[in-house]
Amino acid sequence: MAENEKHKLKLIKQGAEAKLYRGDFYERPCIVKERFSKSYRHSALDRSLTAQRIKAEVRALFRCRLQGIIVPTVYFVDLDSSCIYMEDITDSCTVRDYIVQIQKENGDSAISQLKPLATKIGGIVGKMHANSILHGDLTTSNMLLRGSPLDLNIVMIDFGLSYFDSLAEDKGVDLYVLERALLSTHPNTEELFSTMMEAYKQANKKGAAEVISKLEEVRMRGRKRTMVG
Amino acid sequence: MTEHIANQFYADSSITMVLYDELENSKEIRKCVMDGSVEASLLKPILILDKFQVIVAATRAIHNQRHKRMTTKTIHSEILFCLSPSKNISDSYRKFGLGDEDKCMLVVIVDDQDNSKLNAIQALIKGRQLPLSDLQAKADPSAIKTIYKIHDEELEVCPLLDAVVTRISSKETVTL
Ligand SMILES: Nc1ncnc2c1ncn2[C@@H]1O[C@H](COP(=O)(O)OP(=O)(O)OP(=O)(O)O)[C@@H](O)[C@H]1O
Ligand SMILES: [Mg+2]
Repeated sequence: MAENEKHKLKLIKQGAEAKLYRGDFYERPCIVKERFSKSYRHSALDRSLTAQRIKAEVRALFRCRLQGIIVPTVYFVDLDSSCIYMEDITDSCTVRDYIVQIQKENGDSAISQLKPLATKIGGIVGKMHANSILHGDLTTSNMLLRGSPLDLNIVMIDFGLSYFDSLAEDKGVDLYVLERALLSTHPNTEELFSTMMEAYKQANKKGAAEVISKLEEVRMRGRKRTMVG
Repeated sequence: MTEHIANQFYADSSITMVLYDELENSKEIRKCVMDGSVEASLLKPILILDKFQVIVAATRAIHNQRHKRMTTKTIHSEILFCLSPSKNISDSYRKFGLGDEDKCMLVVIVDDQDNSKLNAIQALIKGRQLPLSDLQAKADPSAIKTIYKIHDEELEVCPLLDAVVTRISSKETVTL
């Protein structure tokens, strides 16, 4: 981004591959996601990989929108400084923080309270897969709840690892990432994952059976790996 | 009634917009823009939902200019090109550019610090100036949906303006 921009933006997250800033794009609140390459050599190859990921993110945001999946509006893409300027989903919290809070406040009844949310998430992922959109990093931090959490307005974000393909195997891996992320971040949520899968089957009617059998294969491999390691 | 907006990225750059109706001499104004005697983008207001749509396109155009990567020859034609979902320049002109018989027009001028470009074109215009807030009333949402290929699934989850803006900002990255 231009130097005269930087001072108006507030750094909100410094990740390994991206920095996030909060600021304005003209009259609208915005998030700026700036990518940088991990390596110290700033070769032409690094720059082109960074550009590829930005493009992948912009494309996936667009494809999701076309399917009626809520994602931030993109305001400006700057491939020269590796930034995406997008809508700031104000008045929102991550699905992660919401689940943590509900589990803390409600103990045993938390799971039944969270079921409508799980159904909604499973439906969104199913719709994405039915349209060959793979997220690549399905964690509960990459889903926001806008407005009142009870309205279940889920906004999908962070498409930097996304890609398009129709292979059941890859979709199975996408679901496996979701399952691992859910179970490792939120204890005792196996039932929520099953709820997600029921909704997934509804939203991805044609492909679900094959994808879920691939998910089972990936799980087995995952288990073997942890047993050996 | 004339709106000057500072460019977010370049302190020395700005965007000026003025809306007109009851225009009597579109053809003449258009000719002067084409031969370069006045500098401006002349747009059809029916395809402009909000000034933010123009801001997004103009910001893109100025970025392309400063990085020496314009698709068209001048900054004012670049704005028109950036606004359009089409990758074809003459098609973009046909759809978004003022027609010879049009009675309504949005003038967009960039980098006009001393108002000289604005004064030059205003000396020529025979028409009535309107506040920019009238853009909404002049816009035709169904024509906008058709041109930008926006369907109802999308409009269930976002306002029309956001659907339009995403297409403008993603144009170079996404093929529709
Ligand atoms: N458009 C947005 N509106 C509101 N909050 C956002 C938005 N984008 C990101 N955030 C917040 O910032 C956090 C990190 O964003 P994001 O997931 O895009 O980056 P990241 O995880 O560092 O990226 P990556 O995994 O691609 O390297 C999110 O969990 C969310 O809390
Ligand atoms: Mg993330």
